[in-house]
Amino acid sequence: MAPKPCALCTVNPAAIVRPKDRSALCKPCFFNVFETEIHHTITSTNLFARGERIAIGASGGKDSTVLASVLKTLNERYDYGVELILLSIDEGIKGYRDDSLETVKRNAKEYGMELTILGYKELYGWTMDQVVEQVGKKGNCTYCGVFRRQALDRGAAKLGVKHVVTGHNADDVAETVLMNLLRGDLPRLSRTTSIVTSTPSSVASSSPTDPASHTNIKRSKPLKYAYEKEIVLYALHKNLTYFSTECIYSPEAFRGSARALIKNLERVRPSAILDVVRSGEDMAKLCPGSDEGCGGACGSSTSAIPMAEEEEGGCGSSNGRNAGSEMANMDRQLAQNEAAVENELEVEITFHGRDGTQQKIKKQPKKIKGQAAASVPRKAVTKQVMGKCKKCGYLSSQEVCKACTLLEGLNKNRPKNHIEVGYDAEPENHVRDLAGQVKGLEVGSG
Amino acid sequence: MAWRCTLHLRNHLNALITHFHLQPRFTFHNKMPGKHVDQALEQPCRRCKDVSAVLVVRSEPLCRECFFKYVHTKAIKRLESFRVRNANPNHQRTLLLPLSFGVSSVSLLHILDRQLKTQMSKTGRTGFAIHVVHIQIPGDESIITVDELLSKAKEAYPDFKYTSLALHDVFRLTSDATLNDLCPKTNHSETASPPEKLAALINSLTSATARADVLSTLSTRLTVEHAKTSGCEGILWGDTTTKLAEKTLSETAKGRGFSLPWQISDGESPHGVTFNYPMRDVLKKELVSYVDLVGSPVSDLICEPSAIRQASMSSKNTTIDDLMSKYFEEVETNFPSIVSNVVRTTGKLEAVSAPASAPRCDLCSMPVSDGRFGIHGWGGDQQESAERIAIASGPQLCYGCSRSIPQPSK
Ligand SMILES: [Zn+2]
Ligand SMILES: [Zn+2]
Ligand SMILES: [Zn+2]
Ligand SMILES: [Zn+2]
Repeated sequence: MAPKPCALCTVNPAAIVRPKDRSALCKPCFFNVFETEIHHTITSTNLFARGERIAIGASGGKDSTVLASVLKTLNERYDYGVELILLSIDEGIKGYRDDSLETVKRNAKEYGMELTILGYKELYGWTMDQVVEQVGKKGNCTYCGVFRRQALDRGAAKLGVKHVVTGHNADDVAETVLMNLLRGDLPRLSRTTSIVTSTPSSVASSSPTDPASHTNIKRSKPLKYAYEKEIVLYALHKNLTYFSTECIYSPEAFRGSARALIKNLERVRPSAILDVVRSGEDMAKLCPGSDEGCGGACGSSTSAIPMAEEEEGGCGSSNGRNAGSEMANMDRQLAQNEAAVENELEVEITFHGRDGTQQKIKKQPKKIKGQAAASVPRKAVTKQVMGKCKKCGYLSSQEVCKACTLLEGLNKNRPKNHIEVGYDAEPENHVRDLAGQVKGLEVGSG
Repeated sequence: MAWRCTLHLRNHLNALITHFHLQPRFTFHNKMPGKHVDQALEQPCRRCKDVSAVLVVRSEPLCRECFFKYVHTKAIKRLESFRVRNANPNHQRTLLLPLSFGVSSVSLLHILDRQLKTQMSKTGRTGFAIHVVHIQIPGDESIITVDELLSKAKEAYPDFKYTSLALHDVFRLTSDATLNDLCPKTNHSETASPPEKLAALINSLTSATARADVLSTLSTRLTVEHAKTSGCEGILWGDTTTKLAEKTLSETAKGRGFSLPWQISDGESPHGVTFNYPMRDVLKKELVSYVDLVGSPVSDLICEPSAIRQASMSSKNTTIDDLMSKYFEEVETNFPSIVSNVVRTTGKLEAVSAPASAPRCDLCSMPVSDGRFGIHGWGGDQQESAERIAIASGPQLCYGCSRSIPQPSK
């Protein structure tokens, strides 16, 4: 029996069933379609500017490896005229990054791209090993997560690069949409659907004279519409070297739950991943106070919050909690809110949201003390006001960004030789943050 | 080691999770009304403190009467604007209740009957009148049972006016011809009867998800059309919190995020009648207990194909709606407040104000205010624009409906 011919060229035998639409294609046609779609994403959103220097956030994993390979191909084929470099972050955990950094080094050589590896040590003055030594194993997830979120931007600033691209794919975006519906977070839902997640408009005004400022870094995800399965197929058939690690920890419960749903949806209807992304973009426009023109559907739209403050996919947000506690905590918290409303015994208390913004919510006081609150019983969707961290200049919803707050705590307790004078923070709050209890509730004085 | 979890490692594709992530370790069995009797019996009702509780509702042990009051109050609170004092004595307000013989619509029927009787006994008149409509969907093999159920309902609640419609009536009742244009053309298209049209349309669809989607969309349209032609100012949908949460996620998954505010909010709909969801604050599992405890006549009117549905979960016939209903069944058991929060959150989405002249989808009739019909012309669309122009002449379908009824592109 002769194999089926490729649906596109009708000449070669089909070798790949496209996960996106189940069409049967030959290898060259699959490569071509996959690359052309990413080209389409880049051009239709005016993502790149000629002469731009762009850092690819490279972890050695499949997404960033495929991103680097495809961008190199497209830059040559369509003459984007951009300079691509690789930027890797080394957390400073002995032995941990060895394999993946080797992978990145090999890729750099293969693609002829400049590679910079920046360690937490250079960026923050601390390696993760040193952090663990200082704070113990319990709270260090918070540090690594917060540091990692800013690391690419800080690294790019060090290199004088204004644009960082990451390997987030359609599955990641779809997952984030469902996750934020499940935890009731519309602002985050609308932000994470944009393809570009910084404010180019503020670039010019914020600090044109300081090339090292990392508030000006544009973040984007050219693989936003690419299916994870197709990324894997592309890497496989192109024989790309990537380092695949399975995270040994379960992702936080909401993300895990959303991820499982996405996988099931994909089996029932392959277009569902793309359809969720589309819904997310459309819903972003319906969010109260939304000023997003098109949720990323056109090139001009960007989100006002740096992606580095978001949890954007991956397993990097479990904070050492067990997977169930996050949903259980939120459920309990919401139930208390409901009961409080029912009983009309409402007392205003101050709620420290997961993003650090303070919000007033109504709550019954007695049960709440000392209890970890779940993320988001928000009465109304609050619009966050972004300012700059007064220590490092990073875009932050608080006066001092999370990384600086954590660093301050670390530096304060650094044995003898190195003492930094802190600004007038309230240590109690930060200690709570350090302990990974960012979501603690306190009964306010008012 | 614990800190590894924050390193940015992506799951390899091989680690595809094929089942739901909600593991038994976070179950709280004591919150399930279904398992009420054993635990609740020992304690007194927390509200009246008089009788012993028969079940635990949102961690409150309640007796039978207090539980009924709890359910009734939640529903009636949603109908504030239909109180007697708001009624114009010269003009009876009429509302349409679509009755599917599921737990929710039957419970709502019962509660409304009680409410109208209460109004009558207190004031000598009622705030509104109810028309009941049942829509027969092809594939429900139990038409005989339906007739039986309808006559039982009339007997138990004789104050309402009842109508039974077949889904294909939608081709007869809808005023615009566009719906007919969606049916595949055959030799005798011109003379095809409504049942033939419906069968041709459904048979042309290639997936279970598409068939279920089109059937329920048509059913909504027929309900709306019937409401208008029978002089009802609004529709009282039976959807529970759980159902609305399911709808939120499944419509999101079907690419209808744009129309969510119109699909799950109380008030003015884009269809010219109001949509009301009196059961929106009651969980599905609570209504199941309610039906259990009320017993006859409510329980005699229930005909839900839930058991059959479950059996086919892993098969090719699974639909996106099935997937979401299975999912929220689990979430509701373990984290009921998260279910309510999904609905509350979606309720904050602001509907685009759509002028009557806004272009509408030929199938679901939702306004597509930016005129972005079809699956093309957005960031996730990788086709070139030539195709888009070719389509402009055919039926105009919103993104979600285009996924269910793909249009030939050339
Ligand atoms: Zn081919
Ligand atoms: Zn800072
Ligand atoms: Zn009682
Ligand atoms: Zn539609």
